[in-house]
Amino acid sequence: MFGSLKTGDKGKILDLSHVGHLVQRRLLDLGITEGSEVCVKCVMPFGGPIMIESCGQCVGIRRKEAVQIEVERI
Amino acid sequence: MEIALIGNPNTGKTSLFNNLTGSYEYVGNWSGVTVEKKVGVFKKNLGHLIDLPGVYTLNPLSKDEGVVTSFFLNESVDRLLNILDASQLERNLHLTLQLLEFEKPALIGLNMIDVANKRGIQIDYMKLSEILGVSVVPVVARSGKGCDKLVDVIGAKSIQPTKKNLTYYGKELEEAITAFSGELTGKTNHSLRFLAVQYFEGNEYVKNYVNGLTNPQKLKAIMEKLESELQKQTDFKSLTNFIYLKRKEVIEKIIAEVARKSDTVIPLSEKIDSIVTNRYLGMPIFLLLMYFMFMLTFDWLGTPLSDVLDAFLTGPVTAGFEKVLGAIHASAFIHALIIEGLVAGVGGVLVFVPQIFILFFFISLLEDSGYMARVALVMDRIMESVGLNGKAFIPMMIGFGCNVPGIMAARTIETPRERLLTILLTPLMSCSARLPVYALFVGAFFAAHKAFVVLSLYVLGIVVALVLAKVFSTTLLKSETSLFVIELPPYRLPQFQSLWKSTWDKGKGFVRKAGTFIFAGSVFIWLLSYAGPKGLNVDMDHSFLAAIGNIIAPIFDPIGFGTWQASASLITGFLAKEAIISTMNIIYFVPNDAGLQALLAHYYTPLAAYSFMVFILLYIPCLATVATIYKETNSKKWTAFSMIYAFVIAYVLSLIIYQGGMLLGIG
Repeated sequence: MFGSLKTGDKGKILDLSHVGHLVQRRLLDLGITEGSEVCVKCVMPFGGPIMIESCGQCVGIRRKEAVQIEVERI
Repeated sequence: MEIALIGNPNTGKTSLFNNLTGSYEYVGNWSGVTVEKKVGVFKKNLGHLIDLPGVYTLNPLSKDEGVVTSFFLNESVDRLLNILDASQLERNLHLTLQLLEFEKPALIGLNMIDVANKRGIQIDYMKLSEILGVSVVPVVARSGKGCDKLVDVIGAKSIQPTKKNLTYYGKELEEAITAFSGELTGKTNHSLRFLAVQYFEGNEYVKNYVNGLTNPQKLKAIMEKLESELQKQTDFKSLTNFIYLKRKEVIEKIIAEVARKSDTVIPLSEKIDSIVTNRYLGMPIFLLLMYFMFMLTFDWLGTPLSDVLDAFLTGPVTAGFEKVLGAIHASAFIHALIIEGLVAGVGGVLVFVPQIFILFFFISLLEDSGYMARVALVMDRIMESVGLNGKAFIPMMIGFGCNVPGIMAARTIETPRERLLTILLTPLMSCSARLPVYALFVGAFFAAHKAFVVLSLYVLGIVVALVLAKVFSTTLLKSETSLFVIELPPYRLPQFQSLWKSTWDKGKGFVRKAGTFIFAGSVFIWLLSYAGPKGLNVDMDHSFLAAIGNIIAPIFDPIGFGTWQASASLITGFLAKEAIISTMNIIYFVPNDAGLQALLAHYYTPLAAYSFMVFILLYIPCLATVATIYKETNSKKWTAFSMIYAFVIAYVLSLIIYQGGMLLGIG
């Protein structure tokens, strides 16, 4: 699960289907989907959003959505 | 010839547009700078170039993206100029594949090759051109390199629509496309393949369009049949996903052939990010930057410059006017009109040009560097807790310059509820036109803590907006859906030239308004103050202006400024907030700010002055802003609501401040 990843950790997305429909669409637009490799760049305090990097681009998403993304640590 | 410029957000479309048309449109380094289509005349008079908002796909989620899809469906276009970000080729090609299905002559401008090279990506653009069947021209949109080549290729008559179908969607879907096309043959000029694929993807705009052409039930039946067929496949999730994956397959093949990747170095962006979006430092850095901006605007640089300009306007300029008026033996009426009306009214506003330009310079810097999207990220946690999302902070930041573009910028917010909320609350951001009022009053009453007092007003605006967001989102605008996914663009070192252009572009509006609106307003206000029920050249207290002011003055008595002068300036302030200053300059008879500041001390206590500033900050948005709210919400109800709630909240807060202060013995 994404929740277990810390800043600097890398993972591969296994399942996005539990995330809200709109967020899924936007991530898809940005090229982030099942099989994408992501790296956690930074985690904002107080349950704030996290910044992830995938294929050289940085994207900010909310923590509550991030924890619904199933990832495999690599 | 109509040429449409289209591409993903933040790929440099508007920079290229400016280079190709020689015009200057608003550019910045975040996704969603352009929210409306803009038309310019192409160099060499080849035709019109149309700049569109950036989109990832033609299937829209937000309103600015919808602008693009409606454009494609409802307007005629002869050529498509697709801008690709070379460093994000994979993602960009999803849009390209859809555009090519549209079957119009197309051309690709490959931008940001330098960024790609820095990441260790080399792109064989000749090969890309060969595979896609369209010309690919490398360009550097910011500097304009490669634009000549682009102009040559667009101008060439030989660009033919590429008829080859790049994406093969599989037997079932291709059959459905054929069936779908059969229903629509002869009913539209658009590419049927394009319409079919977009319809299957769930594009609402296309759905409405084709449903208007033929029997909606038949189309729906085709789609349902297709879905049931595809459901038999093991990994099928949805049609949208299926189509996406088919395109992805094609793109992966293309990338394998055209892009070469070598070992990457860590770009500078990530090093900066580790500081500015740091867990603990992010928020303090943002506040420090804001504080620095206010100190520079109001204290260190802005005020001394304004003083110099003030001295120039009240000294040599006024003397010059006096001389000319004396030489032409102007009547006392004309003399008073020019000196007490125009010079006081327009000059009183122009004095603040240096401060406003410094503020705009900082806003441009934030926009151009790529920091804006980071601010949205840093602020999201707070915004989320009040029912908004971090993206709403961008319109609010822009609102510090002027509320009108701020409200327009809210178009990039995907969910209608959050967008409406942002539109309603952006006017609470203290725009540059309110700045002269603060500058004048802090100079008169809080000289020792200028920047601090002004900063307190800006912060108050933000706090009130956040509190109201919470209130509105739990009462009037209840809904669970919220969406926050934001692209964080790489940092760019701002170029001085584009910064200056951007500052000037924002600031010239202020100067122009002073020369037109405020000019006319000053004449009108002066006339109202010069004439009264008993004739011309009456004592100001018996003028029409005083009569009008006196009607509403009692309302403002409990909040500390129940004078006809304050009331009259508040009325004119609805037309444009700077008009408050012009009106005061005219009413209080003094042609310069220093004199006005001394005089104000007779009419206001420091507590009443603060109460007045708070009232100016929050009360009814200016006319231009109200018109924009109406345009963007398309609702009289919400427009009226935005005016009423602002007035009520301004009154209540001023009342608390003034009466509370009196109780504490501050007044």
